[in-house]
Amino acid sequence: MGNKHTDERDPFYIDYPGRIANIQKLMAEQDIDAYLGSRLRTLSWTTDAFCPWRSFVIIPSDGLPTVFTFVIDAARVADDSWLDEDHVLGYAPMGGMDQISIISDFIRDTLGIKRGRIGVENGMSNYLPEGNLTHYEYEQFKAALPSCELVDAHQIIDRLSLIKDQGTINRFREASRIVDEGHKAVRNALENGGWRGKTETEIAGIAALAMRKAGSEWEWSFTGGNEIASGYRTGFAGGACTPATRREIQQGEPLMVDIHAMFKLGLGDHSHNYFIGTASDRQWWHANNFLDMVRLVLDTYRAGITPVGLAEEMMGFAEERGFAENMVPGFEHGIGMMGDEWRIGLGDGPIPFWTNPEHVYQDGELIICAMQYACPDENIGFRYENPIVIKKDGCEPLSKFPLDIEEIR
Amino acid sequence: MGEKLTYLSPEWCEEVKARLAREISPEKMKYITTSMTNVYRNCPDGRDKYLYFKCEDGVFTDVFVGDGEPPKAEFVITGDYSTFASISQGKLKSQRALMGGKLKLRGNMVKALKLASLADRLNFVIAGIPTDY
Repeated sequence: MGNKHTDERDPFYIDYPGRIANIQKLMAEQDIDAYLGSRLRTLSWTTDAFCPWRSFVIIPSDGLPTVFTFVIDAARVADDSWLDEDHVLGYAPMGGMDQISIISDFIRDTLGIKRGRIGVENGMSNYLPEGNLTHYEYEQFKAALPSCELVDAHQIIDRLSLIKDQGTINRFREASRIVDEGHKAVRNALENGGWRGKTETEIAGIAALAMRKAGSEWEWSFTGGNEIASGYRTGFAGGACTPATRREIQQGEPLMVDIHAMFKLGLGDHSHNYFIGTASDRQWWHANNFLDMVRLVLDTYRAGITPVGLAEEMMGFAEERGFAENMVPGFEHGIGMMGDEWRIGLGDGPIPFWTNPEHVYQDGELIICAMQYACPDENIGFRYENPIVIKKDGCEPLSKFPLDIEEIR
Repeated sequence: MGEKLTYLSPEWCEEVKARLAREISPEKMKYITTSMTNVYRNCPDGRDKYLYFKCEDGVFTDVFVGDGEPPKAEFVITGDYSTFASISQGKLKSQRALMGGKLKLRGNMVKALKLASLADRLNFVIAGIPTDY
């Protein structure tokens, strides 16, 4: 193991051995002999490495975990991870080296588990890269380990990763600082007529270049990286997903700039909105509705509230002001280290694996404060996203780019 | 050498060891330290056999054949006698045998990739021995 990740004075330090020990403690409570993690969020949370290929982590009841990833990426993952190369192994399409054989051999022969309970990650998600064990993988592992019982144990990771430690929050803080650099670059490129002739994809690239220069590893969102929408594309009904297109931005239109940066698996995600040229009074009516709503939501977030309670209160405000039909009735999405996106908390509500609407926010949780305003009839919409740390008496927005909707000349 | 040696016999194994010492320098072996066992299933006598190699700082210090439980090694390659025989005769490439599942490898795949070219050199030397299969 190199000397990386071991300096506790590093603001981005995360106690990975401590995380593993906590997992092992919960495994013991549930009589689990080995944990077979397959979700991207689990890989990030336990290895400190980005695992873009199908990967697995085996956590024994005692000792270090071992990662299995596609062989073309195993040496790089070992280099990035706090684990050494003997604990990051590659699988490949060769006899005995495919992922099922190598992992089941490891459990049976290296860990010596002939009979026992293997924790796996069952479930479903709206997030494509979630990485739950597939039906085929489940059946194959079951056949390869006939005397073992495979039990769903994903909540072990979800429980432990709910409250963020300081190193994680600092990584998100740095990713948000980088996102702000992207926003500054976009604004500079658009103003003084710079917007003329620019396309959504070009704006996405301007932000990407600035964020990469500032240290971002990639525009991590699976929604096409940086999401840029102009004109009617800002106002899709109920929409909040806008991969950039080749559409040229036009005078008199709204522009939505939703950009993403990653720093050490911490994720920046901030959306800012503009008008190109002078906006009409009607457009400003929409804009002010949106800005007032964002301010109110940010003022309301604190430990003790619930997603459904907040939504009811905010939609009441929107109703009072006459724009409820333009609000997507959700005000957050979950976030964690790379691969942990969308749902809040433990997914233990009435609809399994979705946010529990009665989840009570706690001090130290991190979410994306997210709002989408959309009026398709008028080709206008706005988006706000910002990682916030939930505190006892409020919240801390991590992106500091000033909240506003600016007219770009 | 005109006389053919029987595949996996003690004499054949001695010849493998002698040729490896003669034909593959520690430099060519990148001064590696590793060990490998080939496990031969379904040999002509009906038993399983193994061929064990140990390499220290690029020098083959141990090469021996046996039957029963093979010694522990960093890499274990398991397959039918006929598959190994085809590879030793140059009729089948080891990579094709692995990719086709005819051979089963156990060990660290990343390290195995680093050593693949060295294993090819070893197989090349073995293939040069006049052998009765």
